[in-house]
Amino acid sequence: MPSQDPQPPANVRLGPNSRISGQDAFKRYFSKREIGLSLGERSCADGAKFAIGAQGLVTIGSDCYLNDCILLVEQEVRIGNHVMIGWNTTVSDSDFHPIAPAERIRDAIALSPLANGMARPDIAHKAVIIGDDVFIGPACTILKGITIGAGAFVEPGSVVTHDVPAHAHVRGNPAAIVSTDRVE
Amino acid sequence: MSLSRRIAGDWYDSTIPDNVTFDATNLIDTSYSFRRFRSRVKNALVLGRGSAIYANSGFDLGPHAHVEIGEFTMINGAEIVCDEEIRIGAHSLISWNVLLMDNCRAPRSLEKRRAYVDAILRNDARAISYQAKPQPIVVGANVWIGHDCVVLPGVTIGSGSIIGARSVVFESVPELAVAVGNPARVIRRLDAAR
Repeated sequence: MPSQDPQPPANVRLGPNSRISGQDAFKRYFSKREIGLSLGERSCADGAKFAIGAQGLVTIGSDCYLNDCILLVEQEVRIGNHVMIGWNTTVSDSDFHPIAPAERIRDAIALSPLANGMARPDIAHKAVIIGDDVFIGPACTILKGITIGAGAFVEPGSVVTHDVPAHAHVRGNPAAIVSTDRVE
Repeated sequence: MSLSRRIAGDWYDSTIPDNVTFDATNLIDTSYSFRRFRSRVKNALVLGRGSAIYANSGFDLGPHAHVEIGEFTMINGAEIVCDEEIRIGAHSLISWNVLLMDNCRAPRSLEKRRAYVDAILRNDARAISYQAKPQPIVVGANVWIGHDCVVLPGVTIGSGSIIGARSVVFESVPELAVAVGNPARVIRRLDAAR
């Protein structure tokens, strides 16, 4: 129902016949970049949530289908062409909080109602890159800094903690390679 | 208040499809659960006495899909993707964000997968059943599936078993077992007498 599609922020670029639907798509979209989110041609994000920080950038190619997934982006997520991402999958390029315990205390205070303007500590970000023709099943988690090579097939429910080579078939938590044979 | 095709107080403006079989003992929260319901078979979804569909559960049913839900079974915000058959026994508890799929739909072949994505993008409902052979799922009676689990095509879960939260079930689980993990493995046996 196109009439119910949310109005995208000004720095979102939608290519011809691309579409973003779902009332929560931009609830946590805060990108201040010249272009914060772009979709190529004929791509569709149905119920996807774009939780993008001030410096975040998401680039999605053509002929992609994202179904009810969430992208948490502080730096960059780059998605190729003909990519599918399933229901309830999370892709993030950030750790969200520091790993070091003392820094994490500072972060908790900076996020609290008593922060009083205190800045948050530095938090690690690293771009996520998803190649052409990748299938990511429902209920997956793709973590910071991951590169998924072209044609890879990620089984539903996988937690991807290491790079996935092109055309690999992976599953599990942590996701392990089942095969690397290219299936034409 | 007994359940009718147009659910009283439904926030979503639709109705329960005619080939869903239920009676006054059932509960369905909202017709939103049927936005991807395309099954044309008679009794496509059959609800056993006292069973309930809560919290925006979803029935993404292909044209030939048949789903049976046993007596007193609770579907509490799960997604059911079915192209052939999914049967769930009596007194089972299916938690939120659980995904039961009898067909992964996405082909492994690169060329077929591209055609599949293109077909979805051309279809307004975004609901395409890939014509690969589905493998039915059978969940026994008295099974408890924890939240965020995924149950994959062809899996049978034996009666009395428990699947731990966030597990992904690739292979069948026997009766009276506790299976956890991704991929899920049996870690304990349960005593039927208790």
